Amino acid sequence: MQTAKPDHREQSSAAGSFDPAILRKTVLDMAFAGSTVHIGCAFSIVELLAVLYRSHLRYPGNDPMAEGRDYLVLSKGHGVMAQYACMREKGWIGDAEVAGYFSDGSKLKGLSDSRNPGLEVTSGTLGHGFSVGVGLALGIKLKSTDQKVYALVGDGELNEGPIWEGALFAAHHALRNFMVIVDENGYQAMGTTREVLKLESIQSKFESFGFEVATVDGHDESAIDGAIGRLWASASNAPKAIVAQTVKGKGVPFMEHNNAWHYTRLDPETYARAIAALTRHSQ
Amino acid sequence: MRASFSDNLVALASADPSVLLLTGDHGYALFDSFRRACPAQYINAGIAEQNMVGVAAGLARTGFRPIVYGLSAFVPVRVVEQIKIDVAHDNLPVIFIGDGAGFVYSQLGTSHQSTEDIACARAIPNLSVYSPADRFEVAACMRMAYQSKAPIYLRIGKSDRGDVHVAVPQAKIGQLLEVKSGHSGDIVFIATGAMVRTAIDIATQSYPDAAVWSAPFIKPIDHEQVISICQHNRVVVVLEEHSVFAGLGSVIAEIASEYSPVKILRIGVRDRFSHFCGSYEYLLKEHGLDRAAIEQRVRTYLSTE
Repeated sequence: MQTAKPDHREQSSAAGSFDPAILRKTVLDMAFAGSTVHIGCAFSIVELLAVLYRSHLRYPGNDPMAEGRDYLVLSKGHGVMAQYACMREKGWIGDAEVAGYFSDGSKLKGLSDSRNPGLEVTSGTLGHGFSVGVGLALGIKLKSTDQKVYALVGDGELNEGPIWEGALFAAHHALRNFMVIVDENGYQAMGTTREVLKLESIQSKFESFGFEVATVDGHDESAIDGAIGRLWASASNAPKAIVAQTVKGKGVPFMEHNNAWHYTRLDPETYARAIAALTRHSQ
Repeated sequence: MRASFSDNLVALASADPSVLLLTGDHGYALFDSFRRACPAQYINAGIAEQNMVGVAAGLARTGFRPIVYGLSAFVPVRVVEQIKIDVAHDNLPVIFIGDGAGFVYSQLGTSHQSTEDIACARAIPNLSVYSPADRFEVAACMRMAYQSKAPIYLRIGKSDRGDVHVAVPQAKIGQLLEVKSGHSGDIVFIATGAMVRTAIDIATQSYPDAAVWSAPFIKPIDHEQVISICQHNRVVVVLEEHSVFAGLGSVIAEIASEYSPVKILRIGVRDRFSHFCGSYEYLLKEHGLDRAAIEQRVRTYLSTE
């Protein structure tokens, strides 16, 4: 099994750099082209996705549908523009699709749709992708392959009951190949998670369900990379969880910690300001 | 009928190790032989139906053939959105078994009674709806559901009402099956599930010239056959242990109204919950679905139309 394992780092570096500034620029380009929302939701997961695509997700032959691939399940479908940006780096999405986002008849939707190769689930209605990911992990375990499943969920999404049904199931079935990554940006649609429905400690919650958990700065790429590596290296059969502490709107100062960018659309002026801020930030 | 379900389940799983049975902590005793024959293919997902359906979708995506079992009040009704988004949207081969449909749990009250399930399921694209009437139709439906490699909701209602066939019918998907022959003309009965037995009894006793058709497939259904039945009769009586909204009666009326308008009497649950509890026969009476009440409605309808 080990000898057949593809060298994913080599494949990934060939496919793109996954530079967070470039990913965020793609998100802004799409959001402006499509006059759409959810920019803040996409920005908080950019570094998480960059690390996953660059260093962990294995796609034999750079094929998004490859048999034997790892699965990235974007359960918080609202962040899909960040995933599109990564898929562009992989060469699975072209510039025309970025420029034509939301044009009539386009395939890339405002929430994750599994009919697009590279997106494993249809989500946006929350609390679905987590369970599908658990099922993928069980299927992989039953087939005894070394594939891995990552389910990226929002902290607001943890309001949904099926997440906790799935957490019980993943721990009961010792799905050590399953990793949930919680984007703890502290906001959900209508306010902070503290105001809407208090979560308290996400780390202790998942620990009490039987997960092996690490909490990291969700914008520190080397910390994320290290945590993922350490959790997979663990001898424990427990499913894994990473609580990634993030900033909603990260990367563009006037969007950071401002929940209005869950819903606000870019106009030419805010688009230009955002691009300029990104450029300054990345220099 | 439940023995037939269990036998067919064991046969499918024994022949194909990719078949996995998931239950939401239901089916006590029903799965004893399955667990003996195929213990590695049995998963009790706990009292967590929403997660169970998502897990089934993930298993199907990795090449397995999940069969998801629950009471019809929960599978499909509680998990309609999971079926729609996680399974049907991508046409994944998952079979949903909704047991105890209709008024089987007559003493437990509304929480366990299920007369909205067909309505919930049939509007979901890619999802087929099967509703067998006896052990032979169960066998045929399960074989076809497995072979179709697509999402199927298989509804199992009151299971001890006797056979309506003498052998497993060689049906095509969508086909209505004649369970009592008759002459074209005045009145014809179409029924599904447990109501097929009632339709046969009423027709045999009171309308000996009337044919009775069983509809083990609610969706898809053979339009040409429905049109032909409607064209050759003055009144079509449709019986089901389900709401009169969006069940078999609606299916027949939708097809007939477009292609062959005819008088259609839809007998089913008339937009109401059960108020009381009691035996299955008592609950049928409460809803006007016992044989005597149905005969009276048919007589009245025929005399006034």
